[in-house]
Amino acid sequence: MRAVLALLLAALAALAHAHKPSDSYLAIRADGSKVQGQWDIALRDLEYAFGLDSDGDGAISWGELRARHAEIAAYAFARLRVRADERPCTLAALEHLVDQHSDGAYAVIRFEGRCEAERFRALDIEYSLFFDLDPTHRGLLRVETPKGTLTAVLGPDKPRLSVPLEAASRLAQFLDYVGHGIWHIWIGFDHVLFLVSLLLPAALRPGARGWEPAERFAPVFWEVFKVVTAFTVAHSITLSLAALAVIQLPSRLVESAIALSVLLAALNNLRPLVLGRRWIVAFAFGLIHGFGFASVLADLGLPQDALLVALVGFNLGVETGQLAIVALFLPAAFLMRRTWLYRKMLFVGGSALIALIAAIWLLERSLDLKLLPA
Amino acid sequence: MRIGLTLVLLSATLATAAPHVPRDDREVLERLPVRPSDPVAAELRKLRAAVAAAPADPTPAIQLARRYFDLAMAQGDPRYVGYADAALRSWYPNASRHAEVLTVRGLLRQYRHDFDGALEDLAAAAQANPQDPEPHAWRAAIYMVRADYPAARRACAALADRSSELRATGCSAYVDATTGKARSAYDALSAELARNSAAPAGLRLWVLTRLAEIAWRLADARGAERHFRDALALDVTDNFLLAAYADFLLEQNRAADAVALLKDWTRSDTLLLRLALAERALNLAAAEQHARALGERFADSAQRGERLHLQEEARYLLELKGDARAALAAASENWKAQREPRDAAILLKSALAAGDPRAAQPALEWLETTGFESRTLRGTADALKAAAR
Repeated sequence: MRAVLALLLAALAALAHAHKPSDSYLAIRADGSKVQGQWDIALRDLEYAFGLDSDGDGAISWGELRARHAEIAAYAFARLRVRADERPCTLAALEHLVDQHSDGAYAVIRFEGRCEAERFRALDIEYSLFFDLDPTHRGLLRVETPKGTLTAVLGPDKPRLSVPLEAASRLAQFLDYVGHGIWHIWIGFDHVLFLVSLLLPAALRPGARGWEPAERFAPVFWEVFKVVTAFTVAHSITLSLAALAVIQLPSRLVESAIALSVLLAALNNLRPLVLGRRWIVAFAFGLIHGFGFASVLADLGLPQDALLVALVGFNLGVETGQLAIVALFLPAAFLMRRTWLYRKMLFVGGSALIALIAAIWLLERSLDLKLLPA
Repeated sequence: MRIGLTLVLLSATLATAAPHVPRDDREVLERLPVRPSDPVAAELRKLRAAVAAAPADPTPAIQLARRYFDLAMAQGDPRYVGYADAALRSWYPNASRHAEVLTVRGLLRQYRHDFDGALEDLAAAAQANPQDPEPHAWRAAIYMVRADYPAARRACAALADRSSELRATGCSAYVDATTGKARSAYDALSAELARNSAAPAGLRLWVLTRLAEIAWRLADARGAERHFRDALALDVTDNFLLAAYADFLLEQNRAADAVALLKDWTRSDTLLLRLALAERALNLAAAEQHARALGERFADSAQRGERLHLQEEARYLLELKGDARAALAAASENWKAQREPRDAAILLKSALAAGDPRAAQPALEWLETTGFESRTLRGTADALKAAAR
């Protein structure tokens, strides 16, 4: 009898077993015109399929993996068929990375699909990676569509998934753009710095010997309210006009003007030119900032069938982001208005720093230079 | 600048997300379980070449599949079961003409917990080659997992007609020791082993592991320790032996010994669980990291839609995460498919911890009808009965 038999009863007692079987993790995002994805494939499986350990040391190094990237992508994409509305999509790797899953290291391929169908209503995915080498291999698929997320476990018995891609609901689209708006304010430093420059003196008022702490909260609040409202109304106007292609300005001019607006607003804190009616300043420069927002919105891609939804959503997102900044800043500034920290460090030092950054931006943008490290 | 700052912020948020580009070509990403220069790798290459050279002969394919299956068993790595399946697959359409193809497919099916399919294949294999003891041995083992002791005894009787004394005694002792006759089973099996000291290492390993478990059950810790040590000294890698010995060490409050035994076995879920438990007992920092890795693996298998390690998952939930309710759910689910002493133990323990004695009823009945001897299990059962009152 074979030696194998010797082990068998022991083996069975250990039925509850170890390790993970072979899986790959395939995430695809499709919205009816674009297909993008990320595919995590275990290095052990790639090693078994065609050998990555070229120096035979029992370990796979980044260099060994890197040398085979093209081969890996070709091998993988030959085993994944994506079709949009019955017509093929060509998959191409965008970048190769590495990730760790619970059972070891994985090669990560970020890819995009170029589909023959320009706009499509359904996506068909057919998976056959490693099925010839290991019928227990599974593709853990996750498809994100405007309708929601779908998951499936693809195996030799069930290698296909069809995903309908109907347009997103108006509400979902709207919320999506609100999110973009908030995100843009959050990462759009020039807008934030402009707003902060206008807000810095909020808890102070011009007195006989320069800036003095405000006495009561109400006037401070109304001053900020007027400034923020003016800024908002102004940039809403130009954002809408630009998004609807009524007015278009060259982006270098817009970006430079935005930098100038930040510079002037900060300098105005240090050497006041405009004291009262700062809302007029906010309004005037807000017009310029609106053009800046419009270019972001254009980069996001405006859905022609839902232009208004996108516009209102994005604008509302920007306002929400702004209000969050105001809500954080205003009470803090009012409470600290008599302190040295606020009056010297934050107000004077902060304004000077903002002015410096804005001046550099202005030079960079107007002369197309690169002064600050990216 | 704006873009620059944006990128800085984005990369700061992405730093926590995992996909990345390593900086150094020399960075090692993965260590392989087998080096190309290892004898195992050479052996596999030879077997694969034999398969390619004789596509009309099932024998090389069967040999390759068996070798992969052995590797799966030794290391607890299910990928090898997939490779075995692939090696054998082209013979499945004509499986009825090749008894051994049926046998090996039965082994692969039981590994994936397809017990009905496995029993069917093994019955067909036994019919096609009546002299072969192997299908009967496996059938006995599957019936043991299902707690079908009369069927297991019949399979052992069929095995006895076709196999050596030691194997036959091992089979019946396995059944007896689970059904209230541990002492006589122990005596019979150790006497038989003494008469067969030249038996193959693999068989001796199995017999010694059984003897160790029975001795432990009979509260003979020194005997159990001796058998475990003798089994380890055979130098045959066996996932189950390591798991069983680790459980023994943990119960004996010898966590440091368990850590020393398992520290290089983190790839195996069953052993990683025991390692984390031992590290927890010693308050080692690695315990949390290993517990987290284990949780991720269970989450990954759930994503795949397979929960083959429910017994381990239940223990993880109860003993590492302290989530008695979730542990009880997993242990109850596990009991539907697997009913061995360890499966009963985790069902009883998690029911007690969750304060739900009724959920333990199936395991209590099993304990009652089998007369299974184990002080620990009986203690848990008594506590459950007291809680029910």
